[in-house]
Amino acid sequence: MLRKTWSKLRGWRRVRFTTGGAVFSVGTLAIGFAAINTGNNLLFLLLGAMFGFISLSSWLSERTLRQLEIRRRTPRGVAAGRPTRITYYVTNRKRRFPTLAIYLIEEGLPVPAFISRVGAGDSAAVASENFFVQRGVYPLRTLTLSTSFPFGLFTKERDVPLPGELIIWPRSDRPVQLPTPPGGRGKQQSAHLTGGALGSRGEYRGLREYRAGDDPRDIHWRTTARMGTPVTKEYDQDATEAVRICLDTRGEPGDAAESAVEVAAALAAQAYRAGRRFGITTCTSDLAPAVGSGQLEVVLDLLARVDFDPSAPALAPPSDPLGCVLVSMSGTRGGSFGAYINPAGGSGALPYVYAETSDADRRTG
Amino acid sequence: MSLELLHRRLIVGMGLVSLTAFAGGAGFEPISAVVAGLALILALFWHPDADLSLRLERFWLPIAVVLVVRSLYHVFLIGDDVVIPVVDLLLLLLCAEALRSLDAPNDARLYSLTFALLLASCAYRPGVLFALAFVTYVVLATVTLVVGHLRRKSERHRIRENFVSRRFLTGMAGLSGVTLMMSGVIFLTFPRMSRGWASRGEVTATSIAGFSDVVSLGSHGSTILANPEIVLRVEFPDGTPENVLSLHWRGRSYDRFDGVRWSRSVALPPAIGPARWYEAWGTNRVRQQIYAAPLDVDVLFALHPLLTARSDNPRIQPLFDNAGDHIYWGSGAPSYEALSVADRPAPEALREARSGFSPARRHYTQLPTLSPRVGSLADSLTSGLDNNYDKASAINDFFHEEFAYTLELPRSAQEATLEHFLFERLEGHCEYFSTAMVVLLRSVGIHAREVNGFLGGQWNDFGQYLAVTQNQAHSWVEVWFPGYGWVEFDPTPAGAGVSAAATSWLWPGRFLFDGLQHRWNKWVLDYNMESQSGLYQRLSELLSGGAPESSVTPNQPPSTGIDPKWTMLVIMVMSLTAFLLFKRSRGHPPEAELYLKLRESCRRAGFRADEAVAPLSLLDELASVGHPAQEPARTVVHSYLRSRFGGQELDARERKKMKSDLADVRRALRRTRGPTDEHRHRL
Repeated sequence: MLRKTWSKLRGWRRVRFTTGGAVFSVGTLAIGFAAINTGNNLLFLLLGAMFGFISLSSWLSERTLRQLEIRRRTPRGVAAGRPTRITYYVTNRKRRFPTLAIYLIEEGLPVPAFISRVGAGDSAAVASENFFVQRGVYPLRTLTLSTSFPFGLFTKERDVPLPGELIIWPRSDRPVQLPTPPGGRGKQQSAHLTGGALGSRGEYRGLREYRAGDDPRDIHWRTTARMGTPVTKEYDQDATEAVRICLDTRGEPGDAAESAVEVAAALAAQAYRAGRRFGITTCTSDLAPAVGSGQLEVVLDLLARVDFDPSAPALAPPSDPLGCVLVSMSGTRGGSFGAYINPAGGSGALPYVYAETSDADRRTG
Repeated sequence: MSLELLHRRLIVGMGLVSLTAFAGGAGFEPISAVVAGLALILALFWHPDADLSLRLERFWLPIAVVLVVRSLYHVFLIGDDVVIPVVDLLLLLLCAEALRSLDAPNDARLYSLTFALLLASCAYRPGVLFALAFVTYVVLATVTLVVGHLRRKSERHRIRENFVSRRFLTGMAGLSGVTLMMSGVIFLTFPRMSRGWASRGEVTATSIAGFSDVVSLGSHGSTILANPEIVLRVEFPDGTPENVLSLHWRGRSYDRFDGVRWSRSVALPPAIGPARWYEAWGTNRVRQQIYAAPLDVDVLFALHPLLTARSDNPRIQPLFDNAGDHIYWGSGAPSYEALSVADRPAPEALREARSGFSPARRHYTQLPTLSPRVGSLADSLTSGLDNNYDKASAINDFFHEEFAYTLELPRSAQEATLEHFLFERLEGHCEYFSTAMVVLLRSVGIHAREVNGFLGGQWNDFGQYLAVTQNQAHSWVEVWFPGYGWVEFDPTPAGAGVSAAATSWLWPGRFLFDGLQHRWNKWVLDYNMESQSGLYQRLSELLSGGAPESSVTPNQPPSTGIDPKWTMLVIMVMSLTAFLLFKRSRGHPPEAELYLKLRESCRRAGFRADEAVAPLSLLDELASVGHPAQEPARTVVHSYLRSRFGGQELDARERKKMKSDLADVRRALRRTRGPTDEHRHRL
């Protein structure tokens, strides 16, 4: 119970000495000691003034941190290794006091945001830029407001619960080569969608829900008006040229696992750029193929969250495995790290995948 | 005005104010203070660039060395006060720092130096000017610290806009009232445990004529007109007497007159009656709290007859000699409490005082060789009177009726003689009247002596005290009555005590300032346990709406029952414990500690490596200048990132490698300096 009380108190406010503050406090004690011992009344005046500075510092720093409304906006679509900019919108609800020189420190992130001034009743925006070396979902729980205003003697911190999350996608810029579709090896795929033209995209197949990134010219307006949600047309070519990426997540987390995720991400990005439909299946999840940047976002989101586990169930693609691109760090029957080679052909067998995890390591099947 | 310029000007202002505070005390040395003041004023308007600033440092260094040598010389060879030469060094350092370029990171040094100067001034019993300087210093310091903090934050985060408005600064200055209020509260309420502070520095004693061991007839008069300097400030704690402006402030008595000079006999036997005689005078007492200026004579002035004299100042020890004169042993400006009898013996009682103990006859009936006319005059004035009181009154009345008071001094040595005064001139100042009366009384065998002191004073409404000035110096007579002791007689006719100085147009201002100074001395410099308990008592009376019975007398210090030194020790231990508890207990993991040390080493080597710089950016910075530390630093940073964000725990071997790489980085940084400012801008 003591621990709980203590952590509640610490969460409410934390005060730390700065170097200057420590020196000031020691000096105050020294002056006090000298005043008591010598009886010099002027030293009592100085002592009182120093205590006054400490009290004023405490009060002003408290005023600075109070009555602040903070909203956080996290970026969408940031890959590992890229600068991640988190924006904070701070509103000062105080009627007379400005808020000056505060840091907004996200729990676990090294680089805080600094806001120099928010006037009374005013708002301001400020951003922090951090780098994430690894993909993943980073939960954001608490924002710490920190200030050493007004005198720089003490740093006062206050925790503001601000739950959220930051999704860091895996890198998708690994050099990979998309496999050619069955029966069409070597055939180049167009990187551009030619929406709406019969022939280039095959026959009209049906309607489906609109996803971000779909060509707006494919929207079926009448159905959209009736259903109240956007609905788009789907064509055969969209369906037949799908790339299904099968990521085998059986294995230990580590560099090899991350490489496999990056390969999968790169394949998805390639498919997107080629204008092909693509989807992804892992040992624990499945995303049906679709086309467009929205699909890429969903795939990357999934890849950001995927976990590797040696006891995960075996990969079971919902469609014909011949249409899958397997990415596995274990190799077909146990294999090397990253890229691997699988025997091709045969029913139930998995096709070749051309994927590179390093410039020096290229194998063909 | 930019934040940098504003900040620098505020700090220089603090320096000027603390110099002013020091100037108000006894340790003031005009030359160094004037030079320092001029340098600081220059620093308000002129700020050298970085190159010139560096060159100026070469100029300051030899002067600093000279001052250090001087300090050592004062301490070890002369054994003199060390604070003054140290203050000169402080002033030099303050001026040197104030005259550096604006971007010099010397805030902490400047704050410390101005504070040290203010602290030094506390040792020298400064005047009321310190109060004004202290208040100004606190206001300036409040604003300066805020501006300094915001300035450094702006620089670190490259914020160019000046977001400090005039209104904001005014508000901050207003908030310094909180600091001043706290200062006052601590000052008034913090228990005083010692008996007072004996300040440093020699206080210049005022020279005063008329109280040395030998006084020439007429020497007193030369000071009467000339000097309006206040020598005594007298408060009456039990209420001001009605005749306050005509009180005689007794100083010293003289028993031997050689016709020209009064002197004090060396081997004077006791010439005072026992204290119980004063009970016959009456039961009324008058308490005086006397604050004397430092004089060059060790005399305690008070109303006669003085029963007790007590001082809280440990440097003042009241004594009295065989003549019954009260003196003190010690130095400085004596402040003491005197208790005197307020009543005078009734004339009828004095007429009956004919026999009993009398002091040594030969001392108090001694006469020089005088003209027989003096004796005849005395006989004629006292013929037919059968008691000493009537005789003394007759002589006293003779001077009042037949003579006139004048401050004009005799024009020649002939006119300066007592006979000329008695028989030719018939006018003079107080010394002549008192000398003449003593001579006449002794001529008829009555024990009498001359007394020098002060008469009257001027009431200071602001300070609520009687100010007695040098030009109120006075002489009168004491006559011995067995059973009653020495009784005062003042033969000088009306006209004494008027001084030209009091009519000067400067006087009201000086008088008011003196009142301020007196309150400052009493309530600040000399504030002690008694003052505190008196204050508490008055406060409690105020709150209770009356004057309840109190078992604590004003002179009785409050008893806490706790040794204050142990209390201080407990407070210090608790503060230290609180500090340790409040310290960030999150504590850094070892890898983070190593990374933070790397970052700090880079910062010290001149690289931009503050909290806002990400680890990989730090590596970029090292790589961009091709620094040899970049490779070991890369290992440290990557290990840190793997541990901190990659979720991988380093084993002991990896941590050891991290430490050795960090050591390599530090070695390389020490050998090779960081990028220059020019290079940094290019980065």
